[in-house]
Amino acid sequence: MNGGGTSRHIGRIIIRAIVTLLMVAILNFILFRVIPGDPAKLLLGGARTSVTAEQIEAQRQNWGLNRPLFPDQLVDYLSATVRGDLGYSFKFRGRHVADLILERLPATIILVGIAQLTAIVIGVMVGIYAGWRRGGTLDNLATGSSLLLYSTPSFWMAMILVVIFSTSLGWFPGYGAYSPGAITGFLGSFLDYLRHLTLPVTAVALGLIGQYVVVARAAMSDVVTEDYMVTARAKGLTGGQMLMRHAFRNAMLPVVTLITLNLGYVVAGAITVEAVFAWPGIGGLTVEALNARDYPVLQGIFLLLGASIVVANLVADLAYGLLDPRVRQ
Amino acid sequence: MSESTVRYSQRGGARAMKGFLRQFLSYGGAQVGLVCLVFFLVVAPIPNILVGPLQTAINATGDFLAPPSGEHLLGTDEVGRDVLNLVVHGARISLTIALLATVISLIVGTTVGITAGYYGGRVDVWLMRLTDFFFVMPSFVLALVITPVVLEVMGRGGEILGFRPSPFVILVVIGLTSWAFVARIVRSQTLSLKERTFIDRARVAGSSNFSIMVRHILPNLVPQIAANGALVVAGAIYVETSLSFLGLGDPLQPSWGTLLSLAQRAGAASAGAWWYLGAPGVCVLTVSLSFVLIGNALDDTFNPRRRVIP
Repeated sequence: MNGGGTSRHIGRIIIRAIVTLLMVAILNFILFRVIPGDPAKLLLGGARTSVTAEQIEAQRQNWGLNRPLFPDQLVDYLSATVRGDLGYSFKFRGRHVADLILERLPATIILVGIAQLTAIVIGVMVGIYAGWRRGGTLDNLATGSSLLLYSTPSFWMAMILVVIFSTSLGWFPGYGAYSPGAITGFLGSFLDYLRHLTLPVTAVALGLIGQYVVVARAAMSDVVTEDYMVTARAKGLTGGQMLMRHAFRNAMLPVVTLITLNLGYVVAGAITVEAVFAWPGIGGLTVEALNARDYPVLQGIFLLLGASIVVANLVADLAYGLLDPRVRQ
Repeated sequence: MSESTVRYSQRGGARAMKGFLRQFLSYGGAQVGLVCLVFFLVVAPIPNILVGPLQTAINATGDFLAPPSGEHLLGTDEVGRDVLNLVVHGARISLTIALLATVISLIVGTTVGITAGYYGGRVDVWLMRLTDFFFVMPSFVLALVITPVVLEVMGRGGEILGFRPSPFVILVVIGLTSWAFVARIVRSQTLSLKERTFIDRARVAGSSNFSIMVRHILPNLVPQIAANGALVVAGAIYVETSLSFLGLGDPLQPSWGTLLSLAQRAGAASAGAWWYLGAPGVCVLTVSLSFVLIGNALDDTFNPRRRVIP
């Protein structure tokens, strides 16, 4: 193992990530040029607004729309994207797409972050135990129910949760992030927010738990048949010591990779759940953009989802190399 | 000589098939999956015979959001349509979209995988770079931005091959964005297959590259393609349901996802109309679970290493 091999490996991973991001941006560029109608008019707020010919011409000059599509316009588009200039929303007239997205991002990150943590703790624990005691009652129960959870669309799970825990039992609110009016004070509104978070978090987490159980169990099943586990037993270690010192650490590798990868995918996965609860995050924005045919916003969201996926993949690849030196060779 | 070889391989094929079926059907998951799937595949093509033509707001027969009763086994929706009627018609639309999307995905994935693996070199590098992109970007995310743009270009009226534009676009987009996994597996299998002696024999006998790929390599890939095809269907159903739920479906050809979207818009969850959103959801869950179970069982059958671990 030499340092040159490692840095070349890292370099390759980074280049692949950049190429993927570039393809996302180019796809965005092509899609926006394909939409019928004058791009200058689209940039001024959609085909339904009335604008003067001078405004359109100014916009043309401004965006370089009179120049050839390739490479001039593409390069302009890419450099604007890198600067964070994603154009203007159709629906929210005159607002920057980047601002709209940044405004909605915290709500999604809170939802997705808490759901991830919950799913990791529960899913990994159950999966490790199921893999350790393969064929036991808990294993069969966990494997069966995680397959069921895995096949259930999480937004449908969300609707069922609303019917049971909001409409029938009235325990948790099933709409929005705040109760309108009434509640005042920091503690009061904080608790109110938590109550609103409960059902969306549960829905997203249940979808993730199934995956974590399956992967943690499979990783554990692979590990327990390894020679070093036999050695560990021969050394006279107890079951608990074997589990913690040898099995757990080695089984964590694929689990950590999956968790890191999921950090990128989970924002997209939460879109439909957010739609059920009218959660004021990226998912809510996506539905509004789809209904209003607000393409700049939709493309901004696509870029965000693409970037988070690519970054998560990058981190997972790098982490994998760090955790398992064999990969670097 | 060649005749006896052919006969031998046919007998061997039949025996292998029998052995495969015995192994495959020994999995409880495969049995459950097959039973559920056969049920839906019988129901889906004949909705008109089972529950009459698709109900609309005009020929709706019941009260608004009425719970299940003897007359309406699965209750009614917000305009009085029978939910059972909607769900049975939804089966035809959801399954057609998922299966056709899978066919497209398998064709593209297999073509890309075989070509990359067989030719190697620069072709392989570029095709795999393309595959990497589709591997990393989930079909749902790509379809979320591509579908509305394509619909805007095509318009939402009229019909294409018996489909309304939106289900048609959804199925094509899902098919064209969900092939990467298949391509990777097919490529790695092709890489090992093309080194075998029977490929050399075919080449010496004068077979063209195309004929070697189609007649000698492709038949050996069928197990992998079948096992992954089942998982692709499950994925396609998931993506279609999610997209339709977000409002990209067509109410004139409602899939299960479109029904869930209508239920959501009608406030079925907060009205406690569990039958309205329960029925399509249970169908989606059952079908996608069936395909996952069948896919896993196929994988276990073809991949003997996995059989060792219970």
